[in-house]
Amino acid sequence: MPDIQELPLLKSAKREAMVALGIWLAATIYSLGYCFKYGYGRDPESLTYVLGFPDWVFWGLVMPWGACTVVASVFAFCFMKDEELPQSGQ
Amino acid sequence: MKSCLKAVNNFQEFCFFLQRKATDQLMLAATDISNPGYSVLFALLLFIGASVWLGTLAQKAMEKKEFLKGFFLGNRGLGAWALALTATVQSGGTFMGFPAFVYSHGWIVLLWIGSYMVVPLLSFAVVGKRLAQLSRMTDSFTVPDLLRERFADPRVGLVSSIMIITFMSFTMFAQFKAGATIMKHAWPGSGVLALSEDYEPTAAEKAESKNGSAGAAAKSASKPIDRKYYVGLVVFTVTVVGYTLIGGFLASVWTDLFQSVMMVIGVTILVCLAVPMAGGLEQATKTAIANTSPDIAFGPGYSTIGREFLTPGLALSMFFIWIFGGFVSPASMVRVMAAESTEVMRKSICLLSCYNCLIYIPLVMTCIAARTMLPHLDKPDEVIPRMSMLVTEGLPFGPFISGLILAAPFGAIMASVSCFILVISSGLVQDIYVRFLHPTATETQVRRATNVSMVSVGLIAVIANLDPPQYLQALVVLSASGGGAAFTIPILMACYWRRTTAAGMLAGMLVGFCFYFGLSAAGWIQNWAAAAPEGSALAQSVINFLGPDPKIGVPGLFRPYYIFGIDPMVWSLVVSAIAGVCTSLVTKPPSEEHVSRFFDVAVAK
Repeated sequence: MPDIQELPLLKSAKREAMVALGIWLAATIYSLGYCFKYGYGRDPESLTYVLGFPDWVFWGLVMPWGACTVVASVFAFCFMKDEELPQSGQ
Repeated sequence: MKSCLKAVNNFQEFCFFLQRKATDQLMLAATDISNPGYSVLFALLLFIGASVWLGTLAQKAMEKKEFLKGFFLGNRGLGAWALALTATVQSGGTFMGFPAFVYSHGWIVLLWIGSYMVVPLLSFAVVGKRLAQLSRMTDSFTVPDLLRERFADPRVGLVSSIMIITFMSFTMFAQFKAGATIMKHAWPGSGVLALSEDYEPTAAEKAESKNGSAGAAAKSASKPIDRKYYVGLVVFTVTVVGYTLIGGFLASVWTDLFQSVMMVIGVTILVCLAVPMAGGLEQATKTAIANTSPDIAFGPGYSTIGREFLTPGLALSMFFIWIFGGFVSPASMVRVMAAESTEVMRKSICLLSCYNCLIYIPLVMTCIAARTMLPHLDKPDEVIPRMSMLVTEGLPFGPFISGLILAAPFGAIMASVSCFILVISSGLVQDIYVRFLHPTATETQVRRATNVSMVSVGLIAVIANLDPPQYLQALVVLSASGGGAAFTIPILMACYWRRTTAAGMLAGMLVGFCFYFGLSAAGWIQNWAAAAPEGSALAQSVINFLGPDPKIGVPGLFRPYYIFGIDPMVWSLVVSAIAGVCTSLVTKPPSEEHVSRFFDVAVAK
């Protein structure tokens, strides 16, 4: 008698969706947290520059942006699983 | 010897003449910077020509296949580049409204758009694979069709279809206006260069048109919409409807891809020229601070009207809006459904991540640098056109390069309009005509229905834009975010939750949208009350009930109502989730047999 199992694509898609949402949550908390702390209500005199960007922009946005690009690429090439898509109409 | 000397002398004179001529021209260009001459028109024609050519190529590519799937879904054969660069780049607005924001408010706008760092990942990794699978299992090529099969309930299909067609129509109508406006301004001698999606007459023009007694001649001269606008509107409509009609889905995707590539080239040229001209990025920021105020380098952003652009609450909202408004927008779902394989999706994540890095951060840098060269623009919308002409001025082929940069937003508008036309007419043809009116239609009839629906969509768009009413803008804002509010939670439920019922889907969609609509309407009423003359008892009671204008966010008549300073979209997501889940739980569970078709596979022991 055949055994009923969850579709393999569904299984991996669920896992990937959870991880992607986790990455989104981490990026949101870090970026917003950093920018709220250092980008709002600062004394203009204390502003320093990193590679020409205001310091809070660099560490709160540019750096995580780069990190997310790397993480997304790692996610795409090492974590996300390829699955067979069904033929249309099956 | 003498003749030789004379020749040298002549040559020197000639050189001098050339030099003087060049200087004259440079002077001319510098004084006449608001007039782009023929280069922009030429670049626009190039874009139009390329699009039509791609349309005919696309038609060849889809020949000999089943008409509907070929025309509306490109036979599910999208590759990585096409998918990555076309699934989420939403409209020309990204490249027109966004630079104006940076110019007006400063570095904080990078936080406003900050969630784009994860948009590529989320757009393909959350529902991408599963949508591609479900659309193949149900053999559907529109989102309503997919939902209808998934829940075996025509009501779900009909409601989602009506919502998608309505939302997309309003968004699309505004794009027609933008396209026509750009065409109008590209005409040599038009003077103004406001690449704005919604053209706003200047304060002077407004004042003039208010003084109606100034005479008919002055009035017609100050009227923002004129004959060039109508010509632009017709040329734009015929082109877009034309190539979409010829090439269908593939034409739309390929032109979108073409303009995306042009866009990244343009942005790269701009940033490489503009930042050194401003003396480097650090110097550019310092000059910007000196020219405006320190606010331009900090949150909540520089503002001349005392309105906080990006409060922490709104910044938080933006991290929801871009993500959840993006991957469930019908246009992007359709493209994910058309992906060739899951491998294509993986590559797209990587490609789009890199693409976004190359677009948004350089655009912000360019517009910060603009505060050095063009410190006080009256119309921030003009920042990109003016910058592109300014920085390419001395270069060989300068006018041509700036023409291409200026034409890129036009390409973006054409691409998104053609995508909207497709989604709308696929909805009209498949979800309404074939499903409800004429289920036994032959291929010829379907093809005819497609042509008729596309041409009518174009005609309606032209009529709606002949004299667009002001409240149209409200409907545009409403439909853009309303779609996200209505579909995010239901789509997630349809993909991953076995217990979801048709009633739960309907509740999630309708409650999400209605809640969003309610908060927007409350904002409009609040705005109206704030602008009403003092002493109006009704306006006063509205203010007492809703509170005064919070002075945050983007100014405008159609600002929504913010609860605790958070955008309505976030609240609508929460409410939609509660409604969808609770309704599913209290209604009769779907039959196990039906659900199993989409969730399970039988494995031999």
